[in-house]
Amino acid sequence: MKNRRQSTLLLLLLAGGALCAVMLAGALQPDAAADFSQKNLPPCLAHPFGTDWLGRDMLGRTLAGLSLSIRLGLLTSAVSAAAALALGTASAALGGWVDSAISWLIDLVMGVPHILLIMLISLACGRGFWGVTLGVALSHWPALARVLRGEALQLRQAPYLQMARRMGVPWGRVLTGHIVPHLLPQLWAGLILQFPHAILHEASVTFLGFGLPPEEPAIGVILSESMAYLTTGRWWLALFPGLTLAATVSLFALAGERLRLLLAPASAQE
Amino acid sequence: MKKITLFLLALTLLTGCQAAPAGEAVQDRTGVTVVMPPTSEPEAGFDPAFGWGAGEHVHEPLIQSTLTVTNPDLTIGYDLATDMSVSEDGLTWTVTIRDGVKFTDGEPLTAEDVAFTYNTVKETSSVNDFTMLDRAETVDGATVVFHMRTPFSIWPYTMAVVGIVPEHAYDPATYGTNPIGSGRYILKQWDRGQQVILEYNPDYYGQQPRMEKVTILFMEEDAAFLAVQAGQADLAYTSAPYAGQTVDGFSLLSVKSVDNRGINLPIWNNELTSDPLVRHAINLGLDRQRMIDDVLNGYGTPAYSVCDGMPWYSLVNEIEHDRTKAAGLLDAAGWLAGPDGIREKDGVRAALTIHYAAGDSVRQGMAAELANQLKELGIETDIKGVGWDTAYTDALSNPLVWGWGAHTPMELYNIYHTAPGSDSALYSPYSNERADELMNAALACTDLEESYALWQAAQEEIAKDAPWVWLVNVDHLYWVREGLAVAEQKIHPHGHGWSIVNNVDRWEWGV
Repeated sequence: MKNRRQSTLLLLLLAGGALCAVMLAGALQPDAAADFSQKNLPPCLAHPFGTDWLGRDMLGRTLAGLSLSIRLGLLTSAVSAAAALALGTASAALGGWVDSAISWLIDLVMGVPHILLIMLISLACGRGFWGVTLGVALSHWPALARVLRGEALQLRQAPYLQMARRMGVPWGRVLTGHIVPHLLPQLWAGLILQFPHAILHEASVTFLGFGLPPEEPAIGVILSESMAYLTTGRWWLALFPGLTLAATVSLFALAGERLRLLLAPASAQE
Repeated sequence: MKKITLFLLALTLLTGCQAAPAGEAVQDRTGVTVVMPPTSEPEAGFDPAFGWGAGEHVHEPLIQSTLTVTNPDLTIGYDLATDMSVSEDGLTWTVTIRDGVKFTDGEPLTAEDVAFTYNTVKETSSVNDFTMLDRAETVDGATVVFHMRTPFSIWPYTMAVVGIVPEHAYDPATYGTNPIGSGRYILKQWDRGQQVILEYNPDYYGQQPRMEKVTILFMEEDAAFLAVQAGQADLAYTSAPYAGQTVDGFSLLSVKSVDNRGINLPIWNNELTSDPLVRHAINLGLDRQRMIDDVLNGYGTPAYSVCDGMPWYSLVNEIEHDRTKAAGLLDAAGWLAGPDGIREKDGVRAALTIHYAAGDSVRQGMAAELANQLKELGIETDIKGVGWDTAYTDALSNPLVWGWGAHTPMELYNIYHTAPGSDSALYSPYSNERADELMNAALACTDLEESYALWQAAQEEIAKDAPWVWLVNVDHLYWVREGLAVAEQKIHPHGHGWSIVNNVDRWEWGV
């Protein structure tokens, strides 16, 4: 291990690589088809995660589910990070009633419990992939938006920005040339740290029956189905998918943390 | 993240609570504790006008008496009625009722109460169809006359599920939670979302109930299984995935049913199923026994119609599974096997999407099994879980996995008869003029026995079109405590709840 920066980078790459591998593996394999001759098998060599009551291979379903979760997480994080950046900077840059309105909107969305909001939006949009995506995307931006707004407000008062303004640099250029680049480390870390939230919320809203349809191999679907069979001793239906979900979420959290360490000015030189 | 963990934890605790119900283990030999699914709890209480007994899932109302009953072989017997007759034109039913029947508040039950009940359910019932009834009126204290709008030969089957309410003590706002009837049992206690306690009616005019107290708990399937393992119930519903388990002191009871599963094949709106040869090929090509073994672990019987085993069932529906013949029909229809085994016609691939109610594991299994078997026939099949909010519309152009089965031939009419004011039957695009005529004739018939033959003739006509394919009758499974003798069961209709306690008064603890 040469120094901390390199080991951090290595960890980040490993985490990212593992997640990409899972995503691709899940997306490229064929759908786990029902095969009734193989139903209810405990974990074995042919089916390391066992099979369910329709004889579907649980490893395949878990991979497909995680892959779906990661893709959904990517999409929703990107959307909500973009929304957070736009609203946060607009709020700080324009000030006045725009700032009040955006702050009020942030408070409003934050005031409603996430899971409830996701359920409502998902239901209103007819559930399914797009229902969940919209639900998660539209409910996860406020925390990041608030952080970015605070940061941008602070920047506004910085002497070099005051100077730039006095020298007649237009607001647009101040924004794109000075404020946004300064916010990027926060944004990247925030974006990656939204992943675990997005994935867990997707899983839980689907678990509760307001998300993805039951034939999709989503982790939430897998877990809620497995609940019915736990009492009959089929532990493998919940254990492995649950563990892999936890592992995926931890990997994202780890990657986000490392990225923040690398990018944030205070720790970047350590 | 922590929030979600807490949330899931709370959820586990909640379901955990369901597993430890309020009901105590009944071992006193005069009572019984029965577990039913939460969906069996009557939303609007025990009021016949709001679906109690006569709703989607038909059963005996227990708390109230009915005019007629269905016998174990599903012919008609009498409860309150002592005689009934119908006029030549089928428009007037005259029913005499027995003497000396009292409501549990001590007031006598008269023909006025009967007429009042039927006029009330006609006015208010949103769950059952009473449009054929014009009005009910009394001739004297023991005779009631039903004036019909249209002839309705199977009126006795309707009379078997409508509980008679007292005119003097009926308030639609409170009757559901505080029902007064003249039936075998009295509603003692109802804790919404948990349990219903029934106690025997000491003034009951018929045979005294052997079970003095019936406690009914409402639980999800997994909680019901836990309750059985904990010995908290004497009888609990269960399903095929649990059937392989063993519980000390309990045995598995399997009751035959007409609780069928089938798919509709739209005869228009769908390129593939609009071809009658394709529909017959699907009907012939499906191996129903394999479906039962795969999905129901063997607990079921092949279904060939919506009414297998009923007095109005026609044997013409029964067919031999024959894959070669099915393939021949598809070839004849011009759907020829392509390079990947999927059939094609004029460049169009033979593809179907089978919809099923999301959250119903048996229907999901059926759909998956259907997809496998249809693929072997050369039809590419996807499955899709849908909610009931969209399922009815989806079914107008795609097959949907349905569950039916009732103790009345009216179901044939509901499924196959062209709906008034439209050019198609209600649930799936279909219309057959000849079958319509036969069913109309069956309803107009003044003799019930004769009407069965007409219902059968209608089925023979419909069988030529194969607009629906019936797959299996799902056996109703229960865990029963050893020593409890459950009296002879009628073939159970659709709905895995109240049917089992239709004759709870005749149950017995063995010696």
